[in-house]
Amino acid sequence: MYNLLNAEFTPVEHVLIVVGIMLVVALVFGFLIMVVSKKFAVEVDEREETVLGCLAGANCGGCGKAGCAALARSLVEGKGNIDDCPVTDKENKMKIAEVLGVEYSGGGEFIYVVCCGGGANAKDRNDYIGEAGCIRQSMVGSGRKLCSTACLGEGSCVAVCDNGAIEVSEGVAYINKDKCIKCGKCAKTCPKLIISKIPASAVVYVKCSTKCRGKEVMDACTKGCIGCGICAKNCEQKAITIVDNLPVIDYDKCVGCGYCVEKCPRKVIHFVNEDRDDAVLD
Amino acid sequence: MLKMIPAIIMTAMLSQNFILVQFLGICPFLGVSKNIKNAFGMGLAVTVVMFIATLITYPLYTYLLKPLGFDYMEIIVFIFVIASLVQVIEIILKKTSKPLYEAMGIYLPLITTNCAVLGVTELVLTSELVTGLFDACCYGLFGGLGFTLAIVLMSGMREKLDTTRVPRPLEGFPITMLLACFMAMAFSMF
Repeated sequence: MYNLLNAEFTPVEHVLIVVGIMLVVALVFGFLIMVVSKKFAVEVDEREETVLGCLAGANCGGCGKAGCAALARSLVEGKGNIDDCPVTDKENKMKIAEVLGVEYSGGGEFIYVVCCGGGANAKDRNDYIGEAGCIRQSMVGSGRKLCSTACLGEGSCVAVCDNGAIEVSEGVAYINKDKCIKCGKCAKTCPKLIISKIPASAVVYVKCSTKCRGKEVMDACTKGCIGCGICAKNCEQKAITIVDNLPVIDYDKCVGCGYCVEKCPRKVIHFVNEDRDDAVLD
Repeated sequence: MLKMIPAIIMTAMLSQNFILVQFLGICPFLGVSKNIKNAFGMGLAVTVVMFIATLITYPLYTYLLKPLGFDYMEIIVFIFVIASLVQVIEIILKKTSKPLYEAMGIYLPLITTNCAVLGVTELVLTSELVTGLFDACCYGLFGGLGFTLAIVLMSGMREKLDTTRVPRPLEGFPITMLLACFMAMAFSMF
């Protein structure tokens, strides 16, 4: 050992020693990991590995779980929903469904709705004189409305829709469900991000997007949600929770009774079906 | 040896705080600080890995690499050691404590590439305060606790920020960066 410490290494010896050190470290830790993984092996459902292999592996947390492995586990346990993952493509989702032995239709049916009923009911903070279009207008102090999530009604979504499914009436965009092909362009275009995706089976939706507190909403808009929670209290299915001063409807629980529509003091919750909507609200 | 411990604690935790003074490990500091619970889990995971990593790399360097004159290999060897350690800890945790494993989730593997861990193993080699293995481990442990302190403070403030009205152009990430900046300024006063 003593000789080794004081020795002058030739280049070849030097390289060999470097390689040697790395090799020894690699072997030691490789062996350690092997032993530990044998000793602490946890029995894993084989399907879990397969499912994990099919998932996108982005570990983005978009599903609400702590990474792809967690989603794979909950899928195998039958708790999760394949559609929770926004990244994995349809083909792989089909494969997962096959592994799990469940039906998968290739994505749930859904529709787009505009979550704002403001228009003329939402007060203007100032005038806007300039180039038309919501996107342009929202660049200047986030638009002319007092409410930061109000539909500006300037029709940027109308312009982007290839099917003429959107029109602006009374200052609020409206999506015609029969013409809409669910491309989602409008939802991506809207600078206020108030066009949202809800299941096609949904009966009611919240026609407001404000997360402000009650008093601020009162000042800004007569059709704004004040987060009072009356809908949540009256929902017999406990399908409504108030998150950030706004009701969130759990469509798996909602049975479409429409109590929330009737009870809402601000008439913020609407039926998706307009005929039913008109009958109750007018 | 023991006399130096208070100095090491002060240095590692506060005056040379890994995140706010040395700017190491910024990625989890900004990425995992959205709520206190996750931030705390991440902080503890980093602390454990820092401690064990120092425990192994310090002797490895002092008794193997340095005497042989191969001290320039420290980084590559240390990375190796840290990555393997994280792997081992993950396997052990998975078996022994499922709830903790699930709570840490993705953060544990992420520590592999956390530069604060590599930072502490490098720093104890050059720090004047560290004279032996015990000191080094203390530095690792309290460096990790300092990391936890910073990330928990940050997450607490970010939770408050979520319910505050922030000027529109600063919403989201910009205000977080400003916040981090002010915290760093406060810590640099030590």
